[in-house]
Amino acid sequence: MRLVDLVIRGGHLSEQAIVAAVMSGERPAHLDQCGLCAERAVELSRWLDDVRVAGVTVADAAFPAERLAAQQAQILRRLEQLDEPARVIAFPSHARLRRETSGHRVAAGWLGVAAAAGLVLGVVGGQWTARISGHATAVQAVQAPAPAQTPTQPAAVEPAPDRAVPIDASLLDMDLDSLTVPATAIMDNITPRATQVALVSSRSGRK
Amino acid sequence: MSGASTDPPVSAREADARVAVDVKALQAAGRLDAARERFAELVTRHQRRAARIAFHYLRDAADADEAVQDAFVKAYMHLGTFREELPFEVWFTRILINGCLDRLKARRRRERWIAPPLVDSAGNERDAGEYLPARGPSPEDQVLADERRAQLNAALAKLPERQRLVFVLSHFEGRSSREVSAMTGLNESTVRVHLFRAIRRLRALLSSGAASKAPLRGRTNRAAR
Repeated sequence: MRLVDLVIRGGHLSEQAIVAAVMSGERPAHLDQCGLCAERAVELSRWLDDVRVAGVTVADAAFPAERLAAQQAQILRRLEQLDEPARVIAFPSHARLRRETSGHRVAAGWLGVAAAAGLVLGVVGGQWTARISGHATAVQAVQAPAPAQTPTQPAAVEPAPDRAVPIDASLLDMDLDSLTVPATAIMDNITPRATQVALVSSRSGRK
Repeated sequence: MSGASTDPPVSAREADARVAVDVKALQAAGRLDAARERFAELVTRHQRRAARIAFHYLRDAADADEAVQDAFVKAYMHLGTFREELPFEVWFTRILINGCLDRLKARRRRERWIAPPLVDSAGNERDAGEYLPARGPSPEDQVLADERRAQLNAALAKLPERQRLVFVLSHFEGRSSREVSAMTGLNESTVRVHLFRAIRRLRALLSSGAASKAPLRGRTNRAAR
């Protein structure tokens, strides 16, 4: 019995002493002599038992047997992953390349021959196509009829088609001489007419 | 309370030590499948106890589940550092508690910066135990027992972490002060003080029913006198 218990608590054990006695199981001699303290100790012991039962029940309810089994399986799975070294999986393109090269192989020389043959065929075909289309355009230009002459309405003339012959006949027949500006009349008079030059050159070309 | 001071049977300790030594030897020999199979015995033996400790410490079943898994994986990885003269249980519980502490710190950081703490309408922290599925029918006794468990859970949640840990290890798991000291790294005297404070506060919380309404220290002091 400590002096402080004797003075302050009237000879009874402190709560800390009761807790220590109950938790450690070491029964102080005072408990055999004091009914009040013994009752306090028993009451505390019952309360602690209730608390333990309730606490364990709550924890066990959170972890039923199924959950513990799943947990154990997960632990063992993780341990297995730890023990087994990681495997490196080959990149798919490597596998494809290996498959292609392992079969019949085309010689590099033949690839060059094929490329050259393709180039020659392309050039010859392009030339042939250009000649055929050029001949057809010329024939069409010769056979095209001249449109009706409309000297008073130059704006109604259709635009010159973009063909091999640069100037259309309808354009050549236009009365462009009437389009004069007074201020530039002198310059206009000394300048040769483009239509006349083109007409002369085209007629000489056809002959 | 005789269970608080009784040590686990020596045979259990010896069995643990034997299994641990076997696993170490199998790992060294490269027989990893056999090592895992042997280690599974330790998992089976300590799993439920570890789940209880982690659940009461972390107050969350999913977190506790992961903490227990991590602890067993760490124990397997670092079994080479285990000394046979110490109980495996103590060594493993230390690993588990350290993992739980890390999780608590991470959770605090997360709650501080990302998500607000879970509180109910009354401002109390929500407890995972309150949302556990009920088992079977609910007669009056069952309702009362559930209510009592919920109260206890809420009161446990209000304890400071160290007090809660010491209380769970000492009282729920029946460890002695020396063992709790070895598991937690605290002094034996500190363990005893934490245990006493935890019990005093729990009694006050559960007897009043409303922990935050009245100052506990003064009331318990008066009660002690």
